[in-house]
Amino acid sequence: MVLLQVEKLEVVYHQVLTAVQGVSLAVRQGQIVALLGTNGAGKTTTLRAVSGFIGLDDARVTAGRILYRGEDIHGLPPHAVARRGVVLVPERDKVFESLTVLENLEVARRCPHQEARRLYDLVFTFFPQLAAVRHRQAGYLSGGERQMLAIASALLCRPQLLLVDELSLGLAPRLVQALMAQLQAIRRELDLTVLLVEQNAAAALAVADYGYVMENGRVVLDGEPSRLRAHPDIREFYLGHGEQQTRRSYRDVKQYRRRRRWYG
Amino acid sequence: MAYASGYFKTSYGAELALVETRLQWAALAALGLGLGLFPLLASPFALDLANQVLLAVIGAVALMLLTGYAGQISLGHAGLLAAGAFTTGILAEEAGAPFWLTVPASGAVGAVLGLVFGLPSLRLKGLYLAVSTLALHFIVAFLGSEYETRHGFSTGILLDSPRLGPVVLDDARLWYGLLLAVAAAVFLFSRNLLRTRTGRAWIALRDRDVVAAALGIPVAAAKLSAFVVSSVLTALAGCLFAYYRGFVSIEAFSLFTTIEYVAMLIIGGLGSLLGAVLGAVFVVTFPYLIDLAVDLLPVPARLSTYVFAVKYAAFGLIMLLFLLLEPEGLLGIWRRVRDYFVLWPFRYRPLAGRS
Repeated sequence: MVLLQVEKLEVVYHQVLTAVQGVSLAVRQGQIVALLGTNGAGKTTTLRAVSGFIGLDDARVTAGRILYRGEDIHGLPPHAVARRGVVLVPERDKVFESLTVLENLEVARRCPHQEARRLYDLVFTFFPQLAAVRHRQAGYLSGGERQMLAIASALLCRPQLLLVDELSLGLAPRLVQALMAQLQAIRRELDLTVLLVEQNAAAALAVADYGYVMENGRVVLDGEPSRLRAHPDIREFYLGHGEQQTRRSYRDVKQYRRRRRWYG
Repeated sequence: MAYASGYFKTSYGAELALVETRLQWAALAALGLGLGLFPLLASPFALDLANQVLLAVIGAVALMLLTGYAGQISLGHAGLLAAGAFTTGILAEEAGAPFWLTVPASGAVGAVLGLVFGLPSLRLKGLYLAVSTLALHFIVAFLGSEYETRHGFSTGILLDSPRLGPVVLDDARLWYGLLLAVAAAVFLFSRNLLRTRTGRAWIALRDRDVVAAALGIPVAAAKLSAFVVSSVLTALAGCLFAYYRGFVSIEAFSLFTTIEYVAMLIIGGLGSLLGAVLGAVFVVTFPYLIDLAVDLLPVPARLSTYVFAVKYAAFGLIMLLFLLLEPEGLLGIWRRVRDYFVLWPFRYRPLAGRS
């Protein structure tokens, strides 16, 4: 079943700058879907459009539809989107610094105590590091602990679809691997669906069931991770082991050559 | 993994308790005893000062909820106090309304004003919001002075002492009891409110409004609720102020009053109810302390006319010093003193500190 369907989405900033041009993607129930791309590709904008935050940045959805379980959720305020089960873990500034870890989780809690108890046990099982610092103010946590806390808070909202923006941002490679693995385990345990926006293609493709690659506001390639990983351009520009020794940017290559490869 | 030894909670009840240790109970009892004995020992002047402090505490706690916890700056505080006072004055003067009617009426007026002047906060932040709340001050001040001139109360509306059942509140000691009870109730109410879903939502909003919305907190409703709760409490303080003073005049609610309340928050320590109380005590008593200092110091008589100006200058200087040297305010000082005595008579010293 398709949980989230984005159809020909177009987002314009300040009424002049088109950040996303006709992006379509589908997230099926139970999948981890990776949305890859470099800075400025329009990944985060797409995610913010889905989670309802687009209005805060003076951006507007000018065309397209965002369907969640068949219902158009575009135009709903962010908290209403969250309460429907589509919960965003933002890119940065994701915890409440002056609240303790437990209070952070309490802020997100919507369910009665009985069920919350179960969720607390669950997140502390997945992130034992958080359990050890539960009475500490979130402002004193490390980057990795903050990321764990952000995911844990999102889980307290009982999401069906988790939108994760740059899980790997500013974290050590090994920690990113561990967090990705945790995300996979959580997905199995809670029957979650995850839309993962990432620059770190290698880490994301390791856990994803399906991937989309965005460039300049468009989806240029999509497919199973095995197919994406095998694709010469992905290998060259995103995974860093192409024919040349040095990793290059896709921007250095003539547009037509890439077109030919991807669509040919 | 090493855990700190010391005080542990063994039940859910203990987790929820406001007062945790026997020492805290003892300190609280001593404080209660001190506050209880105060009116019996104090001079009329000190008693009046204490009542002013208690009124300021109610107002400062209300503003702290809005500014210190929900993170919404308001410069309409004096306007709200005036709204409460004028509601009381007009109702008592025109309709002869009793105490038990004017109090809820003031609260209701405060709620409506809070709701209306909270609306800009949905779009504006920081300085812009501060300026929009300034409108509240000027509108209330205008309406108040219009009422005064139209109805011939150019020196203010006179109020009779209110009646609580058989008791007529015309004695400073009785007022002290009432104000202390109200201030304690407001403090306790706020303390508990901040531990509920609403209070946590306010803090979440202040820290990161985007994340708060992402986690399902209705940001607009939370902001407005902060404005309403704060405004109701402020208007109540205004109502009590009117009764305590015995008359209502718009002169008493200048923009300087707002600045004083903001100063209480900054000097006391933003983001703490105890800070609001400490700040209120300090700001209200500070001018009198200067008077005292001037009396004690050998100031030549011809300079005594400058004392008034010195008060304002010293007030500004103190604000500046607090901002520069002690951003956490009196609360920061209090915390350091407390932490010092936690280990007393030993001292914390970094291991590698000795060379």
